[in-house]
Amino acid sequence: MDWGRVKTLARKDLREMFKSKYIVSAVIGMPILFAILIPLSTLYPLVVIDSSDFEGDEELPVSITNLLSRIVPNWDDVGTKGQILIMTAYLMYIIVLLIPIILPAVTASETIIGEKERKTMEALLVSPLSETELVTGKILSSFIPSIAGTAFAALIYGIITNILIYPYIDTILFLDTLPIVFLFIIAPLLSILSVELMILISTRVTSVRDAYQLGSLVVLPLVMLIVGVVVAYIFISVYALIAAVAILLILCAIFFKIATNIFDRERAIVKLV
Amino acid sequence: MIAIEMEGLTKDFGALRAVNDLDIVIEESAIFSLLGPNGAGKTTTVRMLTGLLRPTIGGAKVLGLDISENLQEIRSRVGHLTETPALYERLTVRQNLDFFANLYKVPKTEIKSRIEEIVDLFELPEKLDEPAGSLSKGMKQKIAIARAMFHKPELIFLDEPTASLSPESAKVVREQIIKLAKKEKRTFFICTHNLFEAERLSTRVGIINHGILIAQGSPAELREMRKDETVTIIRFATWESRIKEFFEDMNIEIFEYNQDKKYVSVFIKDIEKQTPSIINSLTKNNFQLVEVKHEFPSLERIYLELIELEGVPRGENNMEES
Repeated sequence: MDWGRVKTLARKDLREMFKSKYIVSAVIGMPILFAILIPLSTLYPLVVIDSSDFEGDEELPVSITNLLSRIVPNWDDVGTKGQILIMTAYLMYIIVLLIPIILPAVTASETIIGEKERKTMEALLVSPLSETELVTGKILSSFIPSIAGTAFAALIYGIITNILIYPYIDTILFLDTLPIVFLFIIAPLLSILSVELMILISTRVTSVRDAYQLGSLVVLPLVMLIVGVVVAYIFISVYALIAAVAILLILCAIFFKIATNIFDRERAIVKLV
Repeated sequence: MIAIEMEGLTKDFGALRAVNDLDIVIEESAIFSLLGPNGAGKTTTVRMLTGLLRPTIGGAKVLGLDISENLQEIRSRVGHLTETPALYERLTVRQNLDFFANLYKVPKTEIKSRIEEIVDLFELPEKLDEPAGSLSKGMKQKIAIARAMFHKPELIFLDEPTASLSPESAKVVREQIIKLAKKEKRTFFICTHNLFEAERLSTRVGIINHGILIAQGSPAELREMRKDETVTIIRFATWESRIKEFFEDMNIEIFEYNQDKKYVSVFIKDIEKQTPSIINSLTKNNFQLVEVKHEFPSLERIYLELIELEGVPRGENNMEES
């Protein structure tokens, strides 16, 4: 594989993408919205509630307590309000992980179905780009804004959340392995999977608008995947998380193969041009 | 050297045979035009030669390379103008050219000078840093042609190259095609509806219908094939009703006559032998002749007759009038 050609294609796609107001507003706006709205709408109401209102007979599930007590050193000292704030902060962090699924649905629609819609695909197919280079370039160009947006959202979310709840827990959250695993392993894999699914969709739609609509359906099974991964980690074990990551990797490889087959010239010229 | 060699090249789409048993050989630095109505199989042929479609039967060599084995090398050595200009409209003209230059591995040090060269060659005004989408249709087409030639390919496929160009721009493009074929030994494979252009530009022509090659040769060779269809036009100083009778008596078929313009056009079987004796007879019969000229069949007429002979059920025959 010629990485020079892959980078050339990805750079072209990114240049094109960032000249679209819609894409720019999605790539910048969505992470900001997620990162600011989620803590303000879920954590802030809990923050303003008096600590005494959290006291009662009911306790948090043992599995959650076990997990979070491993992550937060002073778990037993933060009180029920502090524990609920920590638990909510971590659960809501999962929502940030929707960004690497949703954003590629937008960016990949633009770079793949956009080529089809603007009739530029044939010029690419007659170029010396191989099928693998073409798919890798398209994944890369959709993946970069998505991961940048996710990292940005995670950072803002982390800052806002810590500002809101630090006074109640006296410790800084999200410096443990869980958010890092999610941000640097799960999010990129989900992002790649999302782009690959959009490539599959590209053979079925003729316009970017159709792709957005159909792409929103792609998000649903991937959200279930996230839930599965989270459940694997929280309720089962680290080994289950590793197994979930392995499954994601296998899915990425399978869909990469399918996507590459779609860009087989004969098939592509019939379905994508 | 041979640039393209097709041997029984055939393509089926399900039950439809889109291209049937093409045997065409195109020499290096030739300008070959493939003529045919819509749906005749022109684009399918080019797509097979550029590796976008696999032949069902037969094969071809492009620049000496087998299309079933060396596709990537073929693609890097040929240029291709598709039916639409296919420019990235949000990118500037320079960014468009730069993108394709990098895909085709044009050395970075050469890209700038190549852009300047192309601007001169195709008389592109200084709009290099404007978005391609802001340009006129004709300008986009010129840039797309420039892009197809940017990496200096040995063989260039052009699909309707002058379709949306003004007459002036079309002339510039035609001149450059001829210049590049002659001076730089580039080979051109042109799919066109424009018979006027094919006649003036091509060193060889192929006529395809229903995927079958129904004629090929140089425009002169095709005319030679149909020389019995040469029309002789005889113009008179004054029109007389006995003109028609004269030709009927001589058993010469009248193709057309026009009293106002005072001429008659006739089919003469053996032009070289019969023409002098006809002129003598006309003079002896006191007809005042102004002009006698032979009109050889144009490529357009040959094309239309061949296509009409074959029928055009699959696509609409929308050839341009020359």
